[in-house]
Amino acid sequence: MEGAHRPGATAKGLAWLVAIYLVLPIGIILPVSLTDQRFLSLPHESLSLRHYATVLTSPEWLGSIAQSFWIAVASTILAVVAGTLCSIGCWRISRRATDLARAMMLLPIIIPSIVYAVGLYRYFARLGLLDSVLGVVLAHGVTGIPYVIITVSTALAAFDPRLEQAARGMGASLGQTLRWVILPRIAPGIASGAIFAFIHSWDELVIVLFIASRDVFTLPRRIWDGINENLDPAMAAVAVLLILFTLLLLLLDMALRRRRDAA
Amino acid sequence: MSAAGHALALQGLSKRYGSFTAVDDVSLRIERGQFLTLLGPSGSGKTTILMCIAGFVAPTAGAVLLDNRDITALPPEKRDFGMVFQGYALFPHMSVAENVAFPLRVRRMGAAEREAKVRAALDLVQLERFADRRPSQLSGGQQQRVALARALVFDPALLLLDEPLSALDKKLRAELQDELKALHRRVGRTFVNVTHDQEEALSLSDRVAILNHGKLVQEGAPAALYEAPRTRFVADFLGKSNFLHGTVREAHPGAFAIAAGGTRLVQAVDRDAPRPALSMPVLLSLRPEKIALLAEEDTADNTVEGRIVTWSYLGAGFAISVATEDLGLLRVTLPSWGAPIAPAEGMPVRLGWSAAASVPVAEDAD
Repeated sequence: MEGAHRPGATAKGLAWLVAIYLVLPIGIILPVSLTDQRFLSLPHESLSLRHYATVLTSPEWLGSIAQSFWIAVASTILAVVAGTLCSIGCWRISRRATDLARAMMLLPIIIPSIVYAVGLYRYFARLGLLDSVLGVVLAHGVTGIPYVIITVSTALAAFDPRLEQAARGMGASLGQTLRWVILPRIAPGIASGAIFAFIHSWDELVIVLFIASRDVFTLPRRIWDGINENLDPAMAAVAVLLILFTLLLLLLDMALRRRRDAA
Repeated sequence: MSAAGHALALQGLSKRYGSFTAVDDVSLRIERGQFLTLLGPSGSGKTTILMCIAGFVAPTAGAVLLDNRDITALPPEKRDFGMVFQGYALFPHMSVAENVAFPLRVRRMGAAEREAKVRAALDLVQLERFADRRPSQLSGGQQQRVALARALVFDPALLLLDEPLSALDKKLRAELQDELKALHRRVGRTFVNVTHDQEEALSLSDRVAILNHGKLVQEGAPAALYEAPRTRFVADFLGKSNFLHGTVREAHPGAFAIAAGGTRLVQAVDRDAPRPALSMPVLLSLRPEKIALLAEEDTADNTVEGRIVTWSYLGAGFAISVATEDLGLLRVTLPSWGAPIAPAEGMPVRLGWSAAASVPVAEDAD
């Protein structure tokens, strides 16, 4: 803001402290990933990319990356379709009951995921979905819905309901109104929701620990096992790759927002 | 565009929200090619009626008929009505041409025909040069014209206008009023307009329906409503009015006289109108511009003396408030050019008006 007072030294110092506090744990992983040692440590004599090489040539790591990616893609599609339709439905009907429905859809991020995971475990055992990609996709898709609901509902709140009336008044069917008027207007919200749902699935561990055993080995789970078993620095390399990928997605989200605000 | 207006009728239309009655038993006929305005203060139910006609609101009781066909249950997208929304509701993610093409696109019209129609519609509102712009790059008046073009491009059976000019500043509003009127003549379609602006209603419409508390109070040609309001509300809402209270003292065919305090006032009525009963209380509405300032030797059917309390100069005229003993404060407007006096506070004046200038009105029920 132009002409506003500049922050004082104390406020500035505190802000920097918080920023460092947030970034430091991520920052420590970078030098560790470049260690020349064979165990999890800071580099001793020189920087080395050997652990990156291990990750990118190991069939286990690559398999996990691919599996995580496809699970994330499938569960994102599930979350986006269900979440968007639910948001639009609640927005159109807009009664007290729909507020309740919307609140219910947010439960997966309100309830501790371990509680959620225990419940899923019991159901999935009965349905034979344990340790299956489909099971994980379903679990991640459903728990990803809240992110889509939040971003799409926000986009809809800014949507002028008269635009829908105008479209209907000019003879557009519900499908045409959805396709040509509502979806283009809330597309940035949907994209944001998709990015968050993707990230959610991409780094979700707790549920996977419960419902997967041998066949489904997502990336977070392999990191977890790596820490438990052998403190392999390759994990740090994976973590850095993971962070870079997530950062990329967040930058994409920011770019989309900027474009929307400019329009 | 072809002149193919349709007639619309509302029969006993009512809309209740819980215990609140938004529209109360309104029956109305709109003839082919007419420009009808629903006029009323906010909360009078005028917009609800328009939404019932458009199909966005389902009436609790009553029917909407288009050329004697019951369309009450028809969803809005099947009604084929053009509508200009308050604030225009242009699609911000489409260009002007895409906005205007929208109703044609939903009807799956071929590209060539569509383009020709869009061009003709933009031509109609003189916006051909702006076809590729976004609505946000247009002024309010231009956006309003895009909304009109979009509402007319598919040859709708009826054009509905929801406060089409309310978002514009005064000068632009007057300009677009003229344009809207000319457009109505050119396309020859039936227009239903909603407004709270009485000047707009008077200048645009063939007929005006005045609403209050969800009820239709009076309906007719603008001049008929202005000159012969039936109730106090109509006289007060449509233009300005003085109200004179009195009791009937004499009744003759074609006129009666009342006593208002110590002043005798003569009121002309139709010769065949029923004579009022003696000592019945009556209320007369008297328009400020129908009162004249009388010189010493002038006479009039009705005269009263008073003093100027306040006055203001309005360019074209003076607005003067005169305190009288028997009739209270009277508002008088005079053309400033050739005004018989230069008004001043405290100045004694003699006011006069003819027996036909005032009109008896009923007190409103609520």
